[in-house]
Amino acid sequence: MRKLIIKKEILTALRDVRLQVSGGILIVLMLTAVFVGWQGQKQIQEQRAKAQSAMYDTWLNQGNKHPHSAAHYGQFAFKPKPVLSFLDVGLDNYTGISVFLEAHKQNEVLFSAAQDSNGMTRFGEMTAALILQVLLPLLIIFLTFNIFSKEREEGTLKLIHAQGLSMRQLFMGKVWGAYLMVLLIFLPIILLAYLLLDQQSASLDSAVTTKFLLLTFGYAIYFLAFVLLCVLISAFAKNSGLSLLTLLGLWIVSCIILPKATTNLADKVYPTPSQFEFKKTIKNKVKNGINGHNPSDVRLASLRQEVLDEYGVETIDELPVNWSGIAMQAGEEYTDQVYDAEFTKVENIFNRQNRLSEWAGFINPYLAVRNLSMALAGTDFHHHVAFARAAENYRRAFVKKMNKDMEVNHKPGIAYGDYSVGEEMWSSIKPFQYDLPNAATILSNQWRSVVALVFWLAFLFSLSMTYAPKISKL
Amino acid sequence: MKTLFHILSFEWKTLWRSNSLKVLLLVVFGAGIYGIYFGKFEIDKQQKRIAKVQQYERQQFDSLMLWVELDTTITSNKEKYQQAVSPTGVGWNKHFTYYLTNNAPPAAGLCLGQRDLYPVYYGFNVTDLARQVNTGELANPMKLLTGNFDLSYVFVFLFPLLVVALFYNLYAGEKEGGTLSLLQSQSTSLRTILFSKGLLRLTIIWLLAAVLLLLSFALQGISILENGELFFQWLIIIYGYCLFWVVLMGAAVALRLSSALSAMLGLGIWLIFALITPALLNLFVLANEPLPNRAEMIHAVRTLNGRNWEHPKSFVWDRFYPENPQYNDGDTTNFSKWYYASFTLLDKEANALKAEFEKQVSKRNALLDQWQWLAPAAMVHEKLSTLSDTDRESHLEFVKEVHAYHDGLKELYYARIFKGEQFSSDDLQTLSDKL
Repeated sequence: MRKLIIKKEILTALRDVRLQVSGGILIVLMLTAVFVGWQGQKQIQEQRAKAQSAMYDTWLNQGNKHPHSAAHYGQFAFKPKPVLSFLDVGLDNYTGISVFLEAHKQNEVLFSAAQDSNGMTRFGEMTAALILQVLLPLLIIFLTFNIFSKEREEGTLKLIHAQGLSMRQLFMGKVWGAYLMVLLIFLPIILLAYLLLDQQSASLDSAVTTKFLLLTFGYAIYFLAFVLLCVLISAFAKNSGLSLLTLLGLWIVSCIILPKATTNLADKVYPTPSQFEFKKTIKNKVKNGINGHNPSDVRLASLRQEVLDEYGVETIDELPVNWSGIAMQAGEEYTDQVYDAEFTKVENIFNRQNRLSEWAGFINPYLAVRNLSMALAGTDFHHHVAFARAAENYRRAFVKKMNKDMEVNHKPGIAYGDYSVGEEMWSSIKPFQYDLPNAATILSNQWRSVVALVFWLAFLFSLSMTYAPKISKL
Repeated sequence: MKTLFHILSFEWKTLWRSNSLKVLLLVVFGAGIYGIYFGKFEIDKQQKRIAKVQQYERQQFDSLMLWVELDTTITSNKEKYQQAVSPTGVGWNKHFTYYLTNNAPPAAGLCLGQRDLYPVYYGFNVTDLARQVNTGELANPMKLLTGNFDLSYVFVFLFPLLVVALFYNLYAGEKEGGTLSLLQSQSTSLRTILFSKGLLRLTIIWLLAAVLLLLSFALQGISILENGELFFQWLIIIYGYCLFWVVLMGAAVALRLSSALSAMLGLGIWLIFALITPALLNLFVLANEPLPNRAEMIHAVRTLNGRNWEHPKSFVWDRFYPENPQYNDGDTTNFSKWYYASFTLLDKEANALKAEFEKQVSKRNALLDQWQWLAPAAMVHEKLSTLSDTDRESHLEFVKEVHAYHDGLKELYYARIFKGEQFSSDDLQTLSDKL
């Protein structure tokens, strides 16, 4: 009997011109988004990989020079375009893509795509995510808004009930029917998107299949929750028109208005410091000490005494090692410590802001799926921070190596210009390599969104089970 | 004319009695007020940052002004005095960090535009600018992505929805309410009746827009008298935009569909023009026309910097003096002169490269502009941000000002550096006046 209902729902849907048109548009858009997006993402990834290796070549071929000069010459880190970002571009247009790594200072990850584009950017990119999160729910609304009310208006609801079918069974039959229709559109295209992934993508992200599956699963839950919601409203709405208006209103509020309002509110609750304050604090703390009572010249003097004592000599000239190398590395490490503390503060503020919209996923399932999708596609804030940290760690490692070489090999008494190293040293620094966080890390970052999605499903399911028998047949 | 008035007054009475209209208008009005408040909040935040920066700059310079008066026979004063009077600074400390700020234009709070993507201040000393302007502002990318809930958003996104909501059952409402046959039996044609109903709705929408715009000027403290032109430009654009949507919905109504179907159609049109076309344009242009790799610029500067240091000093002189003969006194040994001359070379190289990038970027953006008519919502939003001086162009203007300011400062510094002189109190006063 349930099969019959499912079959009936699917047939009605397939015969409906409105659904044919809107479904058709959706499929065309989705295919365009997937293919054109994939092409663009490949192109951008190639460009960045090429830039990364070209810049590494300049490092290798910088010629013979003092290791500290090389540390100043510096290196670059380019953010690899995450493989799945063609499905969900997330924050990618708003975060920097490359960072210059040099001695003594932490540079910002710069040059976001949005900065180089006009206002059109702010309207978003047509990606699978936009379609699945915003447009497909609209199709679900069109599919289900009169799924009950129409039968009621036509008087068939009573007839079906008279056949001995419980309202609960009828309700679930309609839900599965609509849901199957959605899956019929969603699954083939998402499968197609998966087939686009090639060898190269797998080499960029070994967990890509897992992430892909989780992404598919996340959307599947979202759609089911949405179908349940729509069928429920259709079942209890006075008439089809009212049901449609309620659903459209809900859609506008949750997909268009609330996301913006939530983020804007978050910024108000947890104010963002300015770059000026951020840099000034770091500068002051490096100069005066983290606690304010340990200024840099005192730190330097005590370090000098320590080193002199260690080697049992009276003056720097007597040291068997290069004092400048030691002092510079100590300076680096102190700055790193200050920087880490301040960077983490800002990161925490942003995380708190974002957490607000993650919790809001319990009010608005759109936010839950948006956050989860971004995270799995590798385009959320955590991924940006992971890249920035990886680049910064790389910087620290190569600068340290340069300082160490200076300390050990640049013997005292030899002029700065008379000591140099060459390609052997440069090639001992391996190219920058950044591995995307694995699926477990992503899920633990986004557990609120995962729980919110499951909560919505469970909540709507139990709501349906409780109230389905009470659906009016007249 | 009399019939028209009659219909209008009747329709107004019906509309006024319906709760749904009141609720709808109240929601949009509420959103507008929130947008006005939010825009003001954001701009105030930016202005607070700017004030802090300016205050800091003033304080720092005031200490220099005090230091120059210090009694240098006291040893502890010597370093401060030196810091104040040497245009090259002391050791690796540069003389002074100046800040130039991009103060919010009057209507910035109505349309925050692209302003949140860029820093509203740059700090720099008279060494090369190229390595000092590569900074951003701390901003949560999530906030940048979701965008700002300002008044322009309410006009561009929510007003068309209001139009759809007010128009979708213009015809179907009568039909489904059973009043259509009554109307058809009147001597006035149905077309006139529907037209007047539409006219009334358009008037309500226009009125709401005007009220919100007036309120926004009042609540954000923008003087209408001083910015009268701006006010009318905004008003005209918004009126035109609303009219565009009314015409579209009018066409949809002319199809005489059922109310459910015309609501779906209206929303479909809204989706296409406000969401789908801009997103498609972005997909084709943003995602598929790669941006130039701006890291190249940093690379070019460091390469040239390396070259300057590796070559004999003449490398810099041979390039600097021919173009800046006013500083050429034949001295090719002084380190400070060489050091500062080299920064001019760096900037020259970087500026050339930057201009090249800008050209590529504007070519790509021109491609977007060319197809912008497909996305009227984006077009109007861009227009509003241009009017409010919050678009990308306005930021580029600010960057130009930064360059000009830096050049002006350099002239004052180089005049002293290349004569091997120190700053006098008068010099510092001149610099102080430039802050």
